[in-house]
Amino acid sequence: MSGPGLDARLIAAHDPVNKPALVRLYTEAADSANDIDASCFFLTHAYVFALDAGHPDARTLHARLKAHGRES
Amino acid sequence: MTNVTDLSNVRANVETANGLPNAHYIDPAIFDEEKQAVLFSQWTGLAVASDVPEPGDAVPLTFLGMPLLLIRDKEGDVRVFQNICRHRGMILVDKPRKIEGAIRCPYHSWCYSTKGKLVSTPHVGGPGQNTHEAINRDTLGLNEVRSHVWRDVVWINVSGDAPAFDDAMSHIIDRWSEFDLPLHHGGYDSRFTLELNTNWKLAVENYCESYHLPWVHPGLNSYSRLEDHYNIEEPGAYSGQGTMVYRQITDENGDRFTDFADVGQKWNEQAEYIAVYPNVLLGVHRDHAFAIVLEPQGPERTVEHIHLYYAQPDTPEGLRARNTQLWKTVFEEDVFVVEGMQKGRHVPGFDGGRFSPVMDSPTHCFHAWVAGKFEAHRGQRTAAE
Repeated sequence: MSGPGLDARLIAAHDPVNKPALVRLYTEAADSANDIDASCFFLTHAYVFALDAGHPDARTLHARLKAHGRES
Repeated sequence: MTNVTDLSNVRANVETANGLPNAHYIDPAIFDEEKQAVLFSQWTGLAVASDVPEPGDAVPLTFLGMPLLLIRDKEGDVRVFQNICRHRGMILVDKPRKIEGAIRCPYHSWCYSTKGKLVSTPHVGGPGQNTHEAINRDTLGLNEVRSHVWRDVVWINVSGDAPAFDDAMSHIIDRWSEFDLPLHHGGYDSRFTLELNTNWKLAVENYCESYHLPWVHPGLNSYSRLEDHYNIEEPGAYSGQGTMVYRQITDENGDRFTDFADVGQKWNEQAEYIAVYPNVLLGVHRDHAFAIVLEPQGPERTVEHIHLYYAQPDTPEGLRARNTQLWKTVFEEDVFVVEGMQKGRHVPGFDGGRFSPVMDSPTHCFHAWVAGKFEAHRGQRTAAE
């Protein structure tokens, strides 16, 4: 995970839960990860919180995971 | 092993029958047997659809110890699910809330659509691997409980093998076909609950007879006398009472509620109060209706969930409040009766009581139905052993 203070921003977005922020920050973490497994781990979290929130990014995140063989 | 009660005389003619034995009101073992024999096997009232007015609204409920989730899906259909994740059996929704997107399990974040479809299984095949050949999402949706909405009541059939709702309830649907019109819940001021130290059946039994009215509800005597009432009995389905002298409520300006359109002249002064077996008490009048869902919480504990309905969505607030108070007073007047009869069931050797052949036949009709369901259940169990 990288980006200035990303870890702290993620922790802050979990308490209290800010779902749009979690979608954005986990996507940021996925985009800045060094390998595909780490990236898909964070993409998964972004996707789950997008599903939970009915967030419009859910479709794109699902497509990215599916492209990597990580979603059906 | 449940102690088998003797029900041989409960189904006899009303002139010679006795009521259900004490154990059917106080014995936890009989209460457990009753779940299977009477409550899970029928179409039983759970809640009202107005509890989830908007798509995504979700309310967790406990029905006879079973965690359920009442939800209005994104298409607007009311559904009832077991409120547990198919993964580890974790409770999914622990308080009423709006499901914005998916129902996400708070444990490992398996996600379900509001229609119950399993849509995400994060890390199920390892970190970042969200599928696994052993996990077939199509077979792991939320377990849905068979449900049907009629007169805003959400009825469930837990066993899943009752006849279709419209067939099982055809008698009452036909009887009140003139009232098959849109019902509008009166809102926050038109719902209340009464928590009772009684068995749910005593609430049914008291509701469906008019015999007690002049003694317990003396305020009704001024215009609704005992002789103005009639018995309603449909063995195997429902029983209750009707009145021929319903008088509309008015406010200080003499204003009244708008009538349900086209219900017919018959209902100008007639109203009916029917217990739809097992646990839903309904009332219809030309200008309003109500539904009482009895929630059995234990052999000696019941919660009445009371809801008032009108013909139009917007009704005068003052008039609505007055009507709610009127019915609250009436139903509260019944509390000492149902709680008193409950205490009475602790007298050893009470024979279930004797019925007035004329005035108590709707109550006897209910007793006979309950006894019949127990006998059928016990017969099936014996045959299976």
